[in-house]
Amino acid sequence: MEEMVIETHPTDVSGSATQPGVADAWETVSAALVSAECVVSEQSLSDSLALLCSQGLSQLLGSWLLETLQMRLSSSVVPEFWAGLNQPENELEEKGRAWVLLTAFRTLLHRLEPFLGGLDRLGLWQNEGRGDLCGPGPKGLQDRAFTIIRALLLFSPSPVLQERVLEFYSRTFSVYMNQEGEAEDGAEVPDGPEGGVCPGCGVLTQQCWCQEALEQLQELSHILSKLQLLEWVSSEAVTSILHKLIEQRMEQHCRGEYERSFLLEFQKWLEMVLGWLSKVFASEVHTDSLAPAPSAPSPSGVQAGQSASSVLKQWRCHMHQFFCRIYVNMRIEELFSIIRDFPESKAAIEDLKFCLERTNQRQQLLTSLKSAFESRLLHPGVHTSDILTVYISAIKALRELDPSMVILQVACQPIRKYLRTREDTVRQIVAGLTGDAEGCTDLASELSRGDPVTLEMQDSDEEGNDPEDWTPDPTDAVPDKMGSKHRSSDIISLLVSIYGSKDIFIDEYRAVLADRLLHQLNYNTAREIRNVELLKLRFGESHMHYCEVMLKDMADSRRINSNIREEESRLSEEEQPPLSLSAIILSSEFWPPLKEEKLELPPLVCQAMEAYTHRYEKLKAMRTLSWKLHLGSVTLDVELEDRTLTNLTVSPIHAAIILHFQEKSSWTLEELSMKLGAPKELVHRKLALWQQHGVLREEAGGRYYVVETGSSKEKMERGAMLIDSDEERDSNTTTQSEQREEKLQLFWAYIQAMLTNLDSMTLERIHSMLRMFVATGPVVTEMDVNELEAFLQRKVREHQLLVSAGVYRLPKSN
Amino acid sequence: MLSERVFCSRQTRKMKVKIRQWNGVASWLWVANDENCGICRMPFNGCCPDCKVPGDDCPLVWGQCSHCFHMHCILKWLNSQQVQQQCPMCRQEWKFKE
Repeated sequence: MEEMVIETHPTDVSGSATQPGVADAWETVSAALVSAECVVSEQSLSDSLALLCSQGLSQLLGSWLLETLQMRLSSSVVPEFWAGLNQPENELEEKGRAWVLLTAFRTLLHRLEPFLGGLDRLGLWQNEGRGDLCGPGPKGLQDRAFTIIRALLLFSPSPVLQERVLEFYSRTFSVYMNQEGEAEDGAEVPDGPEGGVCPGCGVLTQQCWCQEALEQLQELSHILSKLQLLEWVSSEAVTSILHKLIEQRMEQHCRGEYERSFLLEFQKWLEMVLGWLSKVFASEVHTDSLAPAPSAPSPSGVQAGQSASSVLKQWRCHMHQFFCRIYVNMRIEELFSIIRDFPESKAAIEDLKFCLERTNQRQQLLTSLKSAFESRLLHPGVHTSDILTVYISAIKALRELDPSMVILQVACQPIRKYLRTREDTVRQIVAGLTGDAEGCTDLASELSRGDPVTLEMQDSDEEGNDPEDWTPDPTDAVPDKMGSKHRSSDIISLLVSIYGSKDIFIDEYRAVLADRLLHQLNYNTAREIRNVELLKLRFGESHMHYCEVMLKDMADSRRINSNIREEESRLSEEEQPPLSLSAIILSSEFWPPLKEEKLELPPLVCQAMEAYTHRYEKLKAMRTLSWKLHLGSVTLDVELEDRTLTNLTVSPIHAAIILHFQEKSSWTLEELSMKLGAPKELVHRKLALWQQHGVLREEAGGRYYVVETGSSKEKMERGAMLIDSDEERDSNTTTQSEQREEKLQLFWAYIQAMLTNLDSMTLERIHSMLRMFVATGPVVTEMDVNELEAFLQRKVREHQLLVSAGVYRLPKSN
Repeated sequence: MLSERVFCSRQTRKMKVKIRQWNGVASWLWVANDENCGICRMPFNGCCPDCKVPGDDCPLVWGQCSHCFHMHCILKWLNSQQVQQQCPMCRQEWKFKE
């Protein structure tokens, strides 16, 4: 009903009134409502009001007033405001623009004030229930008025407003921060080379308008809060300013700086920023409390104060949120570098942990970190040991960041997957464990750390942990059979579990150990014993048994050697062996398979070995020795006409070669290869060492000669020549893949037997049968179905097996 | 020694290799006519299932029938025989070879 009336013009209402006095009364009342100063006496006003009431027109007053406000706004006030704002185009300086902004709002307030006053008055009347006026009261009326103002004014705000507000706020911000933080930040604000520029307002000092700007800010805030436009006009600008400034500050202070914590520093700074915010938002507190509204002083004042402080509180939260988010964003970007520098970057990790708990960015962190790993680490250009080093740092850093280990588990998945494809991973890890690797000493120290985590962790379920301590997994945890309990953070167990099996590591360690022991000259095994003991703590006694036997072999060999030496020393001068021979005597079943190479040694050496064997047989009844001729090391001197090379340590084949040259000063490759019983390529490679030493030279026709007199010049050349001196520290043990092959060959016998008995079997059946039968031997490591399938496929290609419809059978023989 | 020096000078070869030390590598093995122990089926060069260390700690013994076993294996076997002590391979009476 009311709405209908509003549509019609109020004058019509008065015109159609029957009593002529009604029109006058309407004029009086409406004039009193819309004009600021009250011209009419209180008495006549209340009379008029009473008259209107008696005519039942008083109900229309509120609607009329709002309608008028709306009309006035859309017809003049709003266009005037925008025009005022746009008026000077872009000609003015910043200070001028600030002034224009303020003036525009001032005018706005000036235009609207009468209406607000009228509304207030009407509301009061309503409250007093004068002349049976009833309605929402001043508050409700004003709310409606403000809604109309907002709607009309900001219906299509021109970007100019935001721009100006932003500019003005930024300026006041820098002024404020400059004044507040003079002592602290003074040095950091660029004063600029041209002295005399105010750091606050950025103009020459004599034109400084810092103080003015702050006053203007206060007035603007006042106006805005009066019109209840504050939140609408400023929020956006303030948000973007805060964002920009926090970001800026972070870029300047924190980027690339991981060794310091920034939380406190920022906390302080944010408190300062809050001071500025209180200037922007809390001005109403001051004005309201200074000049409280005469009508209802206490309730509205308190309310405003409360709302202001709650607004500030809200902004404080916002600001912290901004800070955390921006910080996390930046650190996520840098996480790879942070991890790389880990022990030094601990502060950054702790900050990040704090902030990450407050923002919901774990997923972002994971994705970004994963892709950083993939693009920066996991490509062929990176050495395996470097990947391992980063992985170890990542373990250390991420377990700091996320004690639930979920981030660690998820983010490092690609690394583990990739490491699995590298051939030398195990070797590198083992080298790291034994302290042989150059770069990473972490592993060795990790190994010798007290309180090791045993790799058997299956029984930890029953550990009577307090159920109260249980915390659920984060939502991004990878669901797997292993609960959070089993998400290990132990570096060694994580590395070892890359392959899912300890045996591979132990095999590899055995190979490394064998290498090291065989290259020993003096049976010194103190370090190896220590390592084996440490590994025993981790892998368990039984797994390291073979290594223990190997070490025992070394000790036994030493004893046997000294025994035999003693025996030899009792012999007469003539019977003394022509060669001082000592031996490492292995228990072949316990050593990793050693490389077989054919080699025939000069008779002198063979005789010495025979004599040694003989003595051994006397020492140990019913046992004999089988020499690995190509293994071991020889220390020798080479005397040439004009020089002597002393104390060279070479491999047996090198020694054999040079011994042959003692007999005859020139050999062809073929002759040598015949004599040594070794392939030509091998001999050729081994000759390189002597060429490098300048003892031999190759001449046309593939003949090698002894170089009796070597000029120094020639030596220089040779030094520069540096022939690729083959794999001097060539591994003595067979490679992993060779061993693997051998194992599979072992399986072949089983498979053949099974197929002979059972005629035909599926892949799965073969696999499970093999697991059942062959699960016991120490050489058998887990073999997955795929590997078996590949093996069987090869057998099929070699026509040793038939396959049809997934069923394998042996070909009908004969 | 003397003759060699003469030999050397005649050939005008002067290079001489003096071996200070030759460190060889060998593996020991039992002189047995079989690879594996007939009782535990483990290699002779390894040790019986009860032992950890091969060689001196887990020796082989030969019977007069010329069959040999890990000492621990055959002793266990013999102890389990109530009536007569036989070689598990050939069923002859077991006597240790001296």
